[in-house]
Amino acid sequence: MLEFDGLRKSFGDNRVLDGVGFTVAPGSMFGFCGSNGAGKTTTMRIAMGLVRPDAGEVRWQGHLLDAGARRRIGYMPEERGLYPKMKVGEQVAYFARLHGLRAAAAARAAEEWVGRLGLGERRGDAVEKLSLGNQQRVQLAAALVSRPEVLILDEPFSGLDPIGVDSLAEALLSQAREGVPVVFSSHQLDLVERLCDSVGILARGRMVAAGTVDELRRREAGRLLRVVVPDAQPSWAAQLAGVRVVSEQAGDTLVELAAGTDDQTVLAAALRTGRVTHFAWRQPTLVELFREAVAAPPREVAA
Amino acid sequence: MSEPRDLGSAGIVRLVAGREISTRIRDKSFIISSLVIILLIVGSIGFQVAVSSGGAQLRIGIVDDSGALGPALQAQGEAVAVDVTVVGLDDEAGARSAVEDGDVDGAVLDAADPQLIVEESADGSLLAVVQGAVSQLAVSEQLARAGITHLDVPEVAVTPMEPDAEQNGQRIGAAIIGVSLLYGLLILFGQFIAQGVVEEKSSRVVELLLATLRPWQLLAGKVIGLGVLGLGQIVVVMVIGVGGALAFDVIDVPGDVVGTAVSVVAWFVLGYAFYAAIFAVAASLVSRQEDLGTVLMPTTLLLVGSLVIGIRAAGDPGGTLARVTSYIPGLSPMVMPVRQAAGQVAAWEIALAVVLMLAAIALVVRLGGRVYSAALLRTSGKTKLKDAFRAERI
Repeated sequence: MLEFDGLRKSFGDNRVLDGVGFTVAPGSMFGFCGSNGAGKTTTMRIAMGLVRPDAGEVRWQGHLLDAGARRRIGYMPEERGLYPKMKVGEQVAYFARLHGLRAAAAARAAEEWVGRLGLGERRGDAVEKLSLGNQQRVQLAAALVSRPEVLILDEPFSGLDPIGVDSLAEALLSQAREGVPVVFSSHQLDLVERLCDSVGILARGRMVAAGTVDELRRREAGRLLRVVVPDAQPSWAAQLAGVRVVSEQAGDTLVELAAGTDDQTVLAAALRTGRVTHFAWRQPTLVELFREAVAAPPREVAA
Repeated sequence: MSEPRDLGSAGIVRLVAGREISTRIRDKSFIISSLVIILLIVGSIGFQVAVSSGGAQLRIGIVDDSGALGPALQAQGEAVAVDVTVVGLDDEAGARSAVEDGDVDGAVLDAADPQLIVEESADGSLLAVVQGAVSQLAVSEQLARAGITHLDVPEVAVTPMEPDAEQNGQRIGAAIIGVSLLYGLLILFGQFIAQGVVEEKSSRVVELLLATLRPWQLLAGKVIGLGVLGLGQIVVVMVIGVGGALAFDVIDVPGDVVGTAVSVVAWFVLGYAFYAAIFAVAASLVSRQEDLGTVLMPTTLLLVGSLVIGIRAAGDPGGTLARVTSYIPGLSPMVMPVRQAAGQVAAWEIALAVVLMLAAIALVVRLGGRVYSAALLRTSGKTKLKDAFRAERI
C-alpha cells in the first residue's frame, strides 16, 4: 500500500494542505483531482521529498518513504524538465542510472523504453530538438525506465494530443497491471473516470471526496433528478418545497432534492405542466461530482 | 534486466561528475578554450625560442694553419656573449664560396695579415669578435717574441649584489604566467559551473534530479566533475609549457620552474574548490542565464582583484600588500604562488595560507550548501540570499 497520511503544509500564512490522506493499493490507479492551487502538486512533492511536510508522512509497504525508497519511484514533475542539450537515449539512461541501474542495464532499459514510446529514431537527437509532445514522451521514459515500484505523475496528460493520451493511458494501465500503484493528477476528468480505480478530490487543502467513482456516485445518487417537461413554464419547479433547481433549459430541468423530499411530488408537479418525456435519477458524471465536491463547504471524509 | 541497487553517496556523486565530464568534453566552448590556451602556451614558447636564438650566433670560417685563431675567436665570442662556431676552410676560393653560400657569416684569411671576407658588410659583433681575436693573437705573438710567454693576468672577481636576480626573474615570470592561467581557468570553470546550475534550474530538470539525489550530491558531483576536467587541463598546459620551455632551453632553472608549476597546480585545486562553490551557490539564486552576470559579479571582481594583486606582488614579493593578501582566502591562490616563486616565504606561511583557505572552503561549502539546496527549487525569478538562508532545506 502507498499511504499518504495526515499531510499538513503551510507556506507562510498560506495553508496549502490541511490533513490530506489517502491510500493507493498496488496495481490500482488513483486519480488525483482538484482545482488549480488545491495542493495536488505539493502533495506529490512531499512524497518525492521535494517539500517537507509540517505534519504527516507518506509510507510505502508500511515504511516511511526515504531516499532509498524514492529511488524506486518513477516521478513526472508538473514542470517538465530534461537536459535540453543531452541526447534522448543518453538522458534516459542517465536517469535509469540515478535510480540505481548499472550502466549496461541502464543502456538496455533506455533503449527499450525509447523504442516502446516510439522515439527509436530520435534517440541520438538532443531533447531540445524534439516537439513538445515527444519531449513529454522522453519525460515519461525517464519516469518508467528504472522499472519503478510506484509511479507518481503530476499532470501526465497535459499537452498531449489524443493519440498521445491513448498511448500514455495504455502505458500506465500496463504498469498498473504489473502491480504498480499509479497516482496521477489530472484536470481531464473523463480520463480519470475512464482509467482510475479510485479518485480523490482535493479542495482547500483537504480531501473532500475519495473512493471509487461508483462510491462517489452512490454518495451523490438520490439527490439529482432530471425531468424533461417540454410544455412547462421555466419556473415550474421553483416553488416546490425541498427542491432546488440546478439548471433549466427549454423544459430540460435538473433539480436537487433535499433529504426527505418525495420524488413523487416532483413528478406530480411535472405532470401538472403537461407532457413528461423524461423522469429519472441522474448518474452524476465525475465532472459534476467534482463541481459538487469542490463547491461544498469542507467536510470530513472517511478515506 | 538486473534489479536496481542502492548507489550510495559516492556512487551518485561519481555519476553526476561523469555526466558533467562527458557533456563538457563534447562542448564546443570547452574544446575551443582548451585549444586556445594550448596554442597560446606553444606560441609563447616559440616566440621565446625565436627571440633568444636570433643574432647571438656567428659562424666564422678560417683559413689558417697556425691553429691559434679558432680558439681565439671562440674565446672572444664568449667575452661578448656571442655563440661562435668556427669552420675550417681550405683556401681563399673555398672561403669566398662559403661566404657566398651563406654557409658562414664571414671568413678570416691568414692570421698574420688578416683579411675578413663578408658578403656585404661586417656587422658589429662579427667585426668585434674577429678584431678582438686577431688583436689578441697579435699581442700574444709579439709578447712571445719579446720573451714573455707566461702572462699573469689577474682575473676579475665578480661580486653580484643580487646573485639570483635573473633566476628569480624567470621563476617569477613563470609564476605570473601560472597565476594568469590559474585566473583564466578559475573564471572559465566558474562560468561552466554557474551555467550548469542555471541550466538545471531553467530547464526544470532539477526537480527530477532532486527526487533521486540530495542537493549536496548534485553540487559535489558538478564541482568534482568539472574540477577533474579543469585539473586535467591545467596539468596538460603546465606539462606542455614547462616541457616545451625545458626542451627549447628557454629557461635556465628548470627545477625551480617545475616547482613553481607544481605549486600553481596545487593552488588551482584550492582556488577552484573555493570559487566553484561560490559560483554554484550564486548561480542557484537565479533561474535564467541572463541574470547570471549580476549574481556572479562580486565573485568575478574578487577574482580580478586577486589577479591584479598577484601581479603586483610579483614586483614586490616581500611587501606588506603581498604578505597580507597571501594569507587571505580567495586571494591567496593568486598571491602565494608568486611569493613562493620569489622564494621569500617561510614554510609556516604557506601552511597558514593553506589552512585558512581550507577553512574558508569548508565554510563556503557549508553555508553555500544551505543556500543552494533552498534556492534550487525556486525556479521562478531571483531568490534573495537572506530568503534562501531562512528557507527550509529539503
